[in-house]
Amino acid sequence: MSEENWIEVGSTDSIEEEDLIRFDHQDKTFCVYKLTDGFYATDGICTHEAVHLEDGLVMDDEIECPMHQGIFNIKSGEALSPPACEDLKTYPVKVDNDKIFIKID
Amino acid sequence: MKKNIIILGGGQAGIYAAREIRQNDSKSNIKILSEENLLPYERPPLSKDFLLDKKKEEDLYFHSSEVLKNENIEFENISINKVDFENKKLFAKNDNVYSYDSLLISTGSENKKLTLDNNLKNDIYYLRNLEEAKKIKEIVLNKNKITIIGGGFIGLEIASSLSQLQKKVIVIEIGNQLMGRIIPKQIADLVQNTHIENGNEIILNKQIEKITKKNDDYEILLNDNSLIETDFIIAGIGSTPTVKLFEKTNLKLDNGIVTNQFCETSIKDVYAAGDVSNFYHPFYERNMRLESYQHAQNHGICAGKNIAGVKTEYTSIPWMWSDQFNLNLQLTGICDEYDEIIERGNDINNGVIYFFLKNNKIRGACGVGIIGKVGRDIRITSKLTEKDTIVDKQILSDQNLKLNKLIQK
Ligand SMILES: Cc1cc2nc3c(=O)[nH]c(=O)nc-3n(C[C@H](O)[C@H](O)[C@H](O)COP(=O)(O)OP(=O)(O)OC[C@H]3O[C@@H](n4cnc5c(N)ncnc54)[C@H](O)[C@@H]3O)c2cc1C
Ligand code: FES
Repeated sequence: MSEENWIEVGSTDSIEEEDLIRFDHQDKTFCVYKLTDGFYATDGICTHEAVHLEDGLVMDDEIECPMHQGIFNIKSGEALSPPACEDLKTYPVKVDNDKIFIKID
Repeated sequence: MKKNIIILGGGQAGIYAAREIRQNDSKSNIKILSEENLLPYERPPLSKDFLLDKKKEEDLYFHSSEVLKNENIEFENISINKVDFENKKLFAKNDNVYSYDSLLISTGSENKKLTLDNNLKNDIYYLRNLEEAKKIKEIVLNKNKITIIGGGFIGLEIASSLSQLQKKVIVIEIGNQLMGRIIPKQIADLVQNTHIENGNEIILNKQIEKITKKNDDYEILLNDNSLIETDFIIAGIGSTPTVKLFEKTNLKLDNGIVTNQFCETSIKDVYAAGDVSNFYHPFYERNMRLESYQHAQNHGICAGKNIAGVKTEYTSIPWMWSDQFNLNLQLTGICDEYDEIIERGNDINNGVIYFFLKNNKIRGACGVGIIGKVGRDIRITSKLTEKDTIVDKQILSDQNLKLNKLIQK
């Protein structure tokens, strides 16, 4: 795992617990979440239609799309409720010196 | 002995019910009888992304034939034209007879048709199914000035899509606002402005007197004697539950098939779900009929559980959406029983929501905003409604305060 792939997202206190922030890198959008047991990252756009998940609702381990209430598991990316049926891509996250990094391939 | 379970109507409620039955009952025969020769598919994109060519036919199906095969759910393309509840039999046009032990009716709803005195029946188009959507999509390629009769959700979504296809669109609505009755006027006006800004013409408070064919075009005479020239007419003037088949039976009907909170009808072993059912909602303590995606899904699932013997009350808080241009409108709960209205936000770019409260508790809410801006708050509202929470009105009305503070864990 080379160090170069880890991209800094921001400081750990930039996200409230059970919430998320949007993070744009090059031409891609990601969502970075703070859950009770740590930080997680997924693609930032719903797999149903091209809608930003940053405006969605985080409840427990799930993110619910603000457009049609498609639900994804934040940790696995699994699409849990229609109309979303395609899984969401997830990314590894690490915290170093109060900074959040995600690994983008 | 294996039970025969028949699902009449292969739409959204039907397919969700079938799969739920199978989850709880691995043995019974499950057969879906469907008039449309298509596996169950999503209707919402028909007026939106399908017309815009952003979604193709193959994107619309809920499940592939393999899923049905793996779950041993039979699907037969047949139209039923007679029922005998006493002997538990259904009859098809081709003389096939189907016997059931349990029956789910999920025949959906159908478009109301315009009553015109001249012979223009085949000239007016309607949108309910994929076949009609395909026809409209093909014909509009060669049309330029399109009139939509009816300013309800489906009419406006078609108007939005056709405008995005660079067509000149006129919407004629009989009422004094768009999406009448169920939507607050302030929200209807915001949506109307967006249509106008995008070049659509909206005519309110007008009735159609007469439609005349002039070569390949039409002249529409309105009740104020104004004349509209158009080359294509689509009507979206509301829908009625598909119950004709049951009118001469003793199945209790009243704006659809009357069901209790367990999806049971007035006849033993006969259930109904989705658009066709006028169901009892225990939370609101009244009957209601809904035409929405979320309801068809959840009601189908609930019916499936009850048919499989897992007694389950239907308590889902209503929710529906409409997408027009870059706007997403959402409605939750019921918005016609209230003693107070609270407004949150006033800029469509950040989202505008109206909450309807009774005794300091939310009964329903309606919001509109550019895509993504109202969904989270509307979703939280559904949860607050469901939990019957007494809400802090200060938080509701101040867009700077997050609504999830109101959810008690
Ligand atoms: C164009 C359009 C856009 C929509 N957009 C939205 C939206 O944006 N948001 C939202 O929340 N909802 C939307 N809806 C509503 C939503 O799609 C419906 O509420 C939902 O499809 C209802 O599901 P259902 O299973 O009750 O009925 P349906 O999906 O209509 O299925 C009923 C099926 O039963 C069949 N049938 C009827 N009679 C017989 C018979 N005698 N024998 C055999 N088969 C029979 C019918 O042909 C049909 O296939 C939209 C609907 C339409 C038409
Ligand atoms: S865009 Fe996310 S569920 Fe439809």
